[in-house]
Amino acid sequence: MASTACFIIVSRNDIPIYEAEVGSAVKKEDAAQQHQFILHAALDVVQDLAWTTSAMFLKAIDRFNDLVVSVYVTAGHTRLMLLHDSRNEDGIKSFFQEVHELYIKVLLNPLYLPGSRITSSHFDTKVRALARKYL
Amino acid sequence: MATMLGQSDPANSPLGLMLLDEITPVVMVLRTPLVEEACLKNGLNLVELLTPFSTFNNIDVPVRTASDQPYRLQKFKLRLFYASDIRQPNLEVAKEQLKEVITHAGEKDFSDLCSDPPQIEDVLSTPESEILPSWFQFVNKELVRSPSFSDHEAFDHPVACLLVVSTKDEQPLNRFVDLFNTNQLPFLLNDGVMDPKILKHYLLVHDNQDGSSEKAENFLTEMRSTFGSNDCRLLCINSSQDGLVEHEVNPWAPYKTDASLSQPLGCFLNIDDFNEIKDLMQDFSSKRIIPHMEQKIRVLNQQVSVTRKGFRNQIKNLWWRKGKEDTPDASNSPMYTFSSIESQIRVLGDYAFMLRDYELALSNYRLLSTDYKLDKAWKRYAGVQEMMGLTYFLLDQSRKEAEYCMENAFNTYLKIGSSGQQNATRCGLWWVEMLKTRDQYKEAASVYFRISGEEPLHSAVMLEQASYCYLFSKPPMLHKYGFHLVLSGDHYKKCDQIKHAIRTYRRALSVYKGTMWSYIKDHVHFHIGKWYAFLGMFDVAVPHMLEVLTCGHQSKTTQDLFLREFLQIVQASVRESLWQSLEEDMIPSLPTIRTNWLESLPKNISKKHKQSNICVTGEAIKVDVEFKNPLQITISISSVSLICELSASSEEIDCDANSSTSELQNDEESGKLTISREQTSNSSFTLSKADFSLGGGERIMVQLTVTPRIEGILKVVGVRWNLSDSVVGFHNFESNLVKKKIAKGRRKAKHSPSDNLKFLVIKSLPKLEGSIHHLAEKVYAGDLRRLVLELRNQSEFPVKNMKMKVSSPRFLNVGSWEILNTEFPACLEKKTDPEQRVQANHNKESHTVFLFPEDTLIQGGTPFLWPLWLRAAVPGNIPLYITIYYEMGDISNIMRYRTLRMYHNLEVLPSLDLSFQISPCPSRLKEFLVRMDAVNKTSSEIFQIHQLSSVGCQWKISLLQPVETMLPSELMPGQALSCFFKLENVRKLTTPEDKVSLLAPREGSDVKLGSEASNEILFDICSSPLADFHICERMHQEGSHQEHPNSVDFILISQPSNDSINTGLPNPPPHLFSHHVCHCRIESTSPIWWLMEGPRTIHHNFSASFCEVKLKMTLYNSSDLSASIFIHTLDSIPSTSQLSEVMAGSPGNQVGWYDTSLLNDIKVTSDVLGMKVGKPPSLDSVSQFIWSGSSSTKVEVEPMSTAVVPLQICVFSPGTYDLSNYALHWNLLSSKDKGSHGKCPGSPYYLTVLQSA
Repeated sequence: MASTACFIIVSRNDIPIYEAEVGSAVKKEDAAQQHQFILHAALDVVQDLAWTTSAMFLKAIDRFNDLVVSVYVTAGHTRLMLLHDSRNEDGIKSFFQEVHELYIKVLLNPLYLPGSRITSSHFDTKVRALARKYL
Repeated sequence: MATMLGQSDPANSPLGLMLLDEITPVVMVLRTPLVEEACLKNGLNLVELLTPFSTFNNIDVPVRTASDQPYRLQKFKLRLFYASDIRQPNLEVAKEQLKEVITHAGEKDFSDLCSDPPQIEDVLSTPESEILPSWFQFVNKELVRSPSFSDHEAFDHPVACLLVVSTKDEQPLNRFVDLFNTNQLPFLLNDGVMDPKILKHYLLVHDNQDGSSEKAENFLTEMRSTFGSNDCRLLCINSSQDGLVEHEVNPWAPYKTDASLSQPLGCFLNIDDFNEIKDLMQDFSSKRIIPHMEQKIRVLNQQVSVTRKGFRNQIKNLWWRKGKEDTPDASNSPMYTFSSIESQIRVLGDYAFMLRDYELALSNYRLLSTDYKLDKAWKRYAGVQEMMGLTYFLLDQSRKEAEYCMENAFNTYLKIGSSGQQNATRCGLWWVEMLKTRDQYKEAASVYFRISGEEPLHSAVMLEQASYCYLFSKPPMLHKYGFHLVLSGDHYKKCDQIKHAIRTYRRALSVYKGTMWSYIKDHVHFHIGKWYAFLGMFDVAVPHMLEVLTCGHQSKTTQDLFLREFLQIVQASVRESLWQSLEEDMIPSLPTIRTNWLESLPKNISKKHKQSNICVTGEAIKVDVEFKNPLQITISISSVSLICELSASSEEIDCDANSSTSELQNDEESGKLTISREQTSNSSFTLSKADFSLGGGERIMVQLTVTPRIEGILKVVGVRWNLSDSVVGFHNFESNLVKKKIAKGRRKAKHSPSDNLKFLVIKSLPKLEGSIHHLAEKVYAGDLRRLVLELRNQSEFPVKNMKMKVSSPRFLNVGSWEILNTEFPACLEKKTDPEQRVQANHNKESHTVFLFPEDTLIQGGTPFLWPLWLRAAVPGNIPLYITIYYEMGDISNIMRYRTLRMYHNLEVLPSLDLSFQISPCPSRLKEFLVRMDAVNKTSSEIFQIHQLSSVGCQWKISLLQPVETMLPSELMPGQALSCFFKLENVRKLTTPEDKVSLLAPREGSDVKLGSEASNEILFDICSSPLADFHICERMHQEGSHQEHPNSVDFILISQPSNDSINTGLPNPPPHLFSHHVCHCRIESTSPIWWLMEGPRTIHHNFSASFCEVKLKMTLYNSSDLSASIFIHTLDSIPSTSQLSEVMAGSPGNQVGWYDTSLLNDIKVTSDVLGMKVGKPPSLDSVSQFIWSGSSSTKVEVEPMSTAVVPLQICVFSPGTYDLSNYALHWNLLSSKDKGSHGKCPGSPYYLTVLQSA
């Protein structure tokens, strides 16, 4: 498992709808805002790259010092973004694919309004389990 | 060839122009002091004098380099340097200079930072040049120049040497020889890095003010014969005798930056001199330097072709290099002297580059780069790669190649460590410009990011530039823009450039405004808020801090931090703004101070010192220093004190500063502070000492003081301490380097911009010290006492023109001078002689600024006393702010005025709870019953009620019963009391002028309460201070009620009982309690009062006839307007019958609902309802009597007058009747507002009619 990893789902309106620190490293006080800053800044690159490929998984698209941003863009332009320091592309790809499936299940929920914050604890546990499995 | 200039020509791009400026031939200038002297008459040194004329835009010289094809050179430039300047610039000095520029820019840019941050749309639409701060260019240029005159590149090596001797010099010819032979020559020439056989040009300068140039001509001929005719020249300057030459376009102005010029530049140079200098430089360039370079290129090219070109030479070279490979790394050894082939190729390449034969340059650089690579001479390799990149760019050939070379050079420079850092920066900046020229902003930004090195200030500037690149890229990358601005701001903060940090964060805010990324939002707002607060701009800080308060997502510690910081800022903000608003009216406005300053400013205070902080001799400066213990063990630290320097007076600053700094350096060397220093410093200032111990990881804020004793400049240099009584340590605030000292505890001044710790000490000034006597910490509400304000001025000089302002006039009032000598509370008592009354302060002064009498002077430590009145109006924690403004008696001072701020926190406890109820008296018109309810809410205080007063002349209060029967003499703790009084309306018709005075209680009526023995005398409510406090009280209690004519104000005055257990001092000063209840209203709102009069009991024989009863209604109009009143008698009781109709209707309507499914229990309720309304009591009594006579009467009543209306009823049977079934409709005439008419139902009037026998 990666020592530092931050997973975030960004809606098509650039609003974070799900955030999770999934790294095994001890949490630092200012880590959360630093991770948000890096991921937020990477949105520009995603914007550029998303339309150049038909693949959903964009691989590592941006980096800041030793932290890498990998992105997976769904058909509805929801972006699954992972900030990590390990280089396990296959694992990350599988992680994204399975989270995408989970996300679709959330979307199927008639009470979930697309683009709103995902508060389901079930979703959260599943995502964390996937992170442990693949990252 | 690159002489063909097109629109897209790289030579015209910013980078091209930059290179044209930076990579040009260098001329080394050697001169005698007399030459310099002659030039300085014009305010310019020799190099400055010549510089404007060594840039040529259209030199038009034909050039033939290696190829046979000649081309013409148009733009050309020479860089002139003194021999002493041809060396690597001092890095530390350069760094300091940059820092100064950046700090200065920060101050300048900061002015507009208080407005709202710009919208991102606006930012995007503004042109590039407006967004980019102009100082970036300067910083970049300085950074590019910092690695110049390195030995690994040849373009900075002087191409020629200009030897200048004055005709005034003795034996000019010998001087020429001496100049070049001195060992002052730069290391480049001496170390064998470059060929010492340099092109020399001999210049003889003649100052025309020293006489005719005949002698000079002779010298020139002599020179020509010695040095050769082509290399010698005569320059005559200063031909203008009067020094009044004005140049229309001064060519030197752009090169001289410091504006402080005593004389106009070049004032002795007339047009002839001008042209002569121009010709000199033109000839020097076109006839000497360029041909020299051409020739050298051709020679070197020949040499290179022979040794290196061709297949055979290449093989040979390869073989030779291979063989050398075992030798250890020798990049810095002098293996490449000027005679080595590598150096010669480099010179060839650089000369070709400077003459813009880029093809030739490129081929040579290529050749050289492989050589250096094989030799592993990395710095030289990087230098060549860098030049290759630039050449590719200028040739506009292969963009890929150009970028590859730049990247290669950049990485290689970085690889060789710290010595390559400056070069890497320069290379990076050129690379960035290259990318920008090709609109590759995104790539440029990443290069900026890579340039940002270890140095925080440097990286802050680079990161900020990177952010703008993201902004300018197409499409704009705003997320990256914001992120890099934030990064840059963090770096600015690291090096104490708070204003820049705020600037960048504010720009970032335009991106992050309204963002849902919570951590980002919190971070940005929190830091901006904190930094604004740090600068003391609390009002701007507060809105930012408000943004972070909803931080549910943050960790507990962060939330705690946010809230704490917020509260601190708000408190500070409130306090400071309160003081400022208090002082607003008193302090003269800024421009007037300025002019006064200029008038009276002593001449010896230079401009520089005006900016610095001012302190006064004999008054302490407090410095807060935070100490942190990084260890886990407790450290004991003793005799902590500041290290200061005080130079005696402003004229001697320079020498004094020098001596003291040298002293300090000695200290640093020895690592100890000598005792002698301490003693010498003690003579001019005193320091406070502090002892404390620091627990593991603890932080302590210590306040240290220094008190200067003499005038001059005081600098707080650092802090010293004793560690465990044995080891002496100190920390210098100025140095940014964290010094590892004997004591491991790392001390850091919270902020140490050097200017903040520099003070101008001015001569001792009068300073007022104030205190208030008799002011207790805790008082009960209503407490009224006299306080005495004591002001002292210890100094000899008097202060004058004093003004005072109090924050809450409701609590604190300024008394008049006379009462100081009278006895309290006797001075409040009603005087028999009306003349003696102290008149209430009706003037506005009491609410705004109180002016002390004109002739008041305070000096020499004698106390000045002035009475104040305190009345604790409402319970709670009340802050009292008093500010006193005073001017110096001696106007020659820098400080014209000072203010004294006094703060006192008063805790007011609840005491008596008082309420009044007024109802009309049923039997009398214009009389009212007042019920007073008083509860003693205290736990220990006993009140002796002394008097109750009604305020105003239209009311008169009196007792209903004798005092003894209705009142206990004392009100014990917790005891409640209610008693009744009679209130009489004695109001007369008033004119509008009198109305104004109603505010102040001119008149009043009092009732003496309490035991006879204790109080013979009543207190006067109409005089100060009771009247003043009453006005404030009225204003505060006004609330939403609008002014109503029929409202009464009461003042209850009580005294503390002698038995009371006092909470404050054991022997408290005498005081009273006064409770004010204002705007008590009579329960009816109608301005019309009426009274039904008639018999109450009648005996009548109903068998004979019905009974007729005559009644009389007296009407009184209490308003100021005449009223028309209409009495309407009804035979049924109108109000109740209407009510019953409504209620009776409801069960019927409800039937439809109840029929459906709802069951019994609802029906029960409806039954209950029916029961209630079904039997209105009045229904039975309907038509037991009828109103006879007219059923409606209309009368007009004049203001303040009465009218009597006769009424009559007929009763048919015995019984008791309520005669309230009439209504009064009143209408105030000649009034415009709507509320001036109304209707009153009748009041109960019971009549009993009995059957008479």
